[in-house]
Amino acid sequence: MNLKISALEYVQGVKNGDISAEDFVAQTMDRIKSIDNNLCAFLSINADAVIQAREIDKKIKSGKKVGDCFGMPVSIKDNICIKDSKTTCASKMLENYISPYDATVIKRLRQQDAIFVGKTNMDEFAMGFTTEFSAYGPSKNPWNQDYVPGGSSGGSAVSVGAFECVASLGSDTGGSVRNPASFCSAVGYKPTYGLISRYGLVSYANSIEQIGPICRTVKDAAFMLNMISGVDSNDNTTIDSRGTDYLQDIECDIEGKKIGIVKEMTGEGTDPAVLSATKDAISKLEGLGAICEEVSVGMTKYSVAAYYTITATEAGSNLARYDNLRYGYDFPLEGYEYNSYIAKARRNFGPEVTRRIIIGGFVPSAGHAGRYFLKALKVKSKLTKEVNELFKRFDFLVSPTVPVLPFKLGEKIDDPVSLLAIDINTVTANLTAKPAVSVPFSNHNGLPIGIQLMADSLQDKSLLQAAYALEQTVSLPEVPI
Amino acid sequence: MITEKEIEHVSRLMRIDVDDHKEYVAKVHAVIEYFDILDSAGVESEEISMPEVSISGLRKDVHVPFDEKLIEKLNHYKGTYVRAPKMSS
Amino acid sequence: MTMIGLEIHCQLTNLNSKLFCSCKANYRGCEINENICPVCMGLPGSLPRLNQEAVKKATMIAMALNCSTPQRIAFFRKNYFYPDSPKNFQITQLNIYGDTSVGGAGSITVGDKKIRITRIQLEEDPGRLIYEGSSSKNLITLVDYNRAGTPLVEIVTEPDFETPKELRIFLNILSDILANLAVTDPTLEGAMKADANVSIEGGNKVEIKNIGSFHDLEKAVHYEITRQSSLQSRRREIIQETRHWDEKRKITVSARSKEEDLDYRYFLEGDIPWVRIESDIQTELQTKMPESISSKKERYTKYGITSQVADVLSSDKYYSDLFERSHTESNAKEIANIITTDLMGLADTKERRLASKLGAGHLRDLADSVLSGAISRNSAKDALYDMVKTGRELGDVIVSLNLGNILDKPKLTEIILQVLSEESQAVEQAKSNPETVHYLVGKVMKKTGGKADPQLTLEILEAKLA
Repeated sequence: MNLKISALEYVQGVKNGDISAEDFVAQTMDRIKSIDNNLCAFLSINADAVIQAREIDKKIKSGKKVGDCFGMPVSIKDNICIKDSKTTCASKMLENYISPYDATVIKRLRQQDAIFVGKTNMDEFAMGFTTEFSAYGPSKNPWNQDYVPGGSSGGSAVSVGAFECVASLGSDTGGSVRNPASFCSAVGYKPTYGLISRYGLVSYANSIEQIGPICRTVKDAAFMLNMISGVDSNDNTTIDSRGTDYLQDIECDIEGKKIGIVKEMTGEGTDPAVLSATKDAISKLEGLGAICEEVSVGMTKYSVAAYYTITATEAGSNLARYDNLRYGYDFPLEGYEYNSYIAKARRNFGPEVTRRIIIGGFVPSAGHAGRYFLKALKVKSKLTKEVNELFKRFDFLVSPTVPVLPFKLGEKIDDPVSLLAIDINTVTANLTAKPAVSVPFSNHNGLPIGIQLMADSLQDKSLLQAAYALEQTVSLPEVPI
Repeated sequence: MITEKEIEHVSRLMRIDVDDHKEYVAKVHAVIEYFDILDSAGVESEEISMPEVSISGLRKDVHVPFDEKLIEKLNHYKGTYVRAPKMSS
Repeated sequence: MTMIGLEIHCQLTNLNSKLFCSCKANYRGCEINENICPVCMGLPGSLPRLNQEAVKKATMIAMALNCSTPQRIAFFRKNYFYPDSPKNFQITQLNIYGDTSVGGAGSITVGDKKIRITRIQLEEDPGRLIYEGSSSKNLITLVDYNRAGTPLVEIVTEPDFETPKELRIFLNILSDILANLAVTDPTLEGAMKADANVSIEGGNKVEIKNIGSFHDLEKAVHYEITRQSSLQSRRREIIQETRHWDEKRKITVSARSKEEDLDYRYFLEGDIPWVRIESDIQTELQTKMPESISSKKERYTKYGITSQVADVLSSDKYYSDLFERSHTESNAKEIANIITTDLMGLADTKERRLASKLGAGHLRDLADSVLSGAISRNSAKDALYDMVKTGRELGDVIVSLNLGNILDKPKLTEIILQVLSEESQAVEQAKSNPETVHYLVGKVMKKTGGKADPQLTLEILEAKLA
């Protein structure tokens, strides 16, 4: 059986009777068992996946109505809650935490008969972009296992890239879906803020993050959006987009569309191989009839500082609830005074999370709130205005997803400030609430390069059309695994 | 420059024990120093913006109990209490 | 000059659900940790879902207290660690980015004084801590989260009070206003609480927290004024601090807050967008507001009800509601009198009010019967007592307790003749001085157990004496 097929091919195959859900899921589980010891894409596996797939086959045979996913094996980042399953956020702090409820995206996928094969590895509480900050060891890039897969949704991108599932859900706070998708040659989609419910996504920086699909093809990403997007009464920040079919008209061409090439995202600090891939992508887009022009987003210079100020502040508050009283890991409280107990219990956060919590205490504290946090909010606001102005003249903005090629495990882990620059192209979409997608575009010496397209708020459908058009211009090597 | 004392203060504020405050001084300092770039962004006169909803879009006031005995799935003690360490007076 | 300010917390006990989830707003009577869900327990991934009605009720409070009500409100996080707080932050409101709390500046008139309201904010209540153990060594802390997330409205006043007594009068007026709005039941335990801040002669401001009741509030403030005056007279510094009221020892003690406990790192709550309260909704709330106490009072006096009775009646929601449902143009004054002189004594506590079986129909019948002379005011008291207890119809009560007035002329004449024969001296007096006839009326009343119709008695007496 070919596990490398796309989500749409899988659905078609099951519908035609060419594929049985049980066989496909069983082989997927076997593949996870045989290769994941090395790749470490998963933190936990659903032991009932094959049984659940069998039930779906039965449903199909008996002519009952079957959901649109037809038993498709999907992996889920371990910061999205599945009822009665572990949700650890790759942290020792939540080592034994079992969620008593389903995230809204999980509920919707369940209704459409998706099968959750397991929970994927990530940087602890989604803080990082290499998956090396997982408390359970890093995931490996399937293109070269000495390299990082990107992050923080590294496990999700690896599981899609290494055919351990058909599609995956990650979360994107500053590029955490797009970055690993780019490093693992997958499609990573960050929707308009509010398009997908965050209910059941463990918050890191709640004002800017979104759940997003990581898939093999742009069409698969559109399919996943159809499954999970739409207003949710459990999330006051969702927007009503129901009724939009993201697959419909996806093959529509992009002739005459105006595309801005963001100067600040294609300049200094960009790897030459990445730059040349980007130039190649631009000529491909022009070849499709798009009109490309260099533009400037002046506030980009401040975006990463604003991004880290906001994320640290929100994280410091969002992670305060982990005091080990109501849930958590085994650490008896006898003999401790309250404050000393929780301060000790919270030592189970890894060093990166601890560092960000400390920054998150520093930045909004009484003496500094105006200096850093308020300014960061104002940068966010001015950046949004700048980008909104551009979208009056342009349909899309283009840049490399990540300015560098995938790097080796351990190479950059100790240098916080140089690591910051890696986010520079992705954080703008989060700070401005815009949709953005990373499309696999090139491969340099066996290392994938992704191209990022960004569109105006709620232009998700046309963004997917552009991503699809770009995707059709490339043919990439197969992953050597 | 961030001092060891400031790190100590913030780690207490955030209730997180840190073995070696010195270790964090350089790391946090580097990041905070990087944030200083915000001073030159020229955004003083900028208004902050937030998403908005109408009051009519908010949840209706209806009591719906959670579908399970939630406390049984959480840490509990002496029946259905949650236990906390003793409070300092 | 003594300056006292208040922060009053009022639970919106009349709502069905909590501020951010669908658990019960009125947690009383629930088993320990029964009234909880992933949202109010702050479980990973859960998000707040703001209660529309809570925003409306809080806005109505702001309107009733003459506050400005912004068209757009925002929520903030107040960050602090405490075991009763499941998220270790509280979602509350602030005015740091413009006026974004449910209510801005307003005022309440207390006597001839205006107490200014600084702001009104909507926020969540924490859970409840229970301490167990005999000595400090084996003391354990237990937490019940049933209350966590209950909607609270915080009313902050300017330091416009000068004496503890003013506080009491103000709080009585405020709780009457809130009860009249039907947003809360102030009689429920813990439904209303207040913290105070006190400064004297321009000295530092001291906040007093942990005050269990309004009664203790007066005592705590009184103690604090005395403490500060004593310090000042000894030329000692009054430290700006938070003090806790020690209920047992009846003193305030320094809370000795650590510096880091005061740094709440307030910032915008991203999980709740700014909420627009459009002007048509504001107008709708304004028109849906229950009639104010002062307007009720004014209306009541038009029935000829004395200002004092109207005041008492309009201030109490339970009785004014009963009055509204029972009165007519002609019996309004009688009903108001029955309520304020008799019923208020019979149904004075919440338990008695709940147990009372008296309906609006009972009251209407009773007042009409008094006015028609079918029953005397004295007997009316007995009938009222019975109806409160049993809920029987007035007609049945009169028969079974034999309370009806003697309206039968021959029967009454017989009794009167008997009285006249026993009181020959008074008869002579009445004949020469008609004013003294009332002595004889009294004797007839006494003989009939108060059931003689006073009007008829007088008529017969006057005829016999003529």
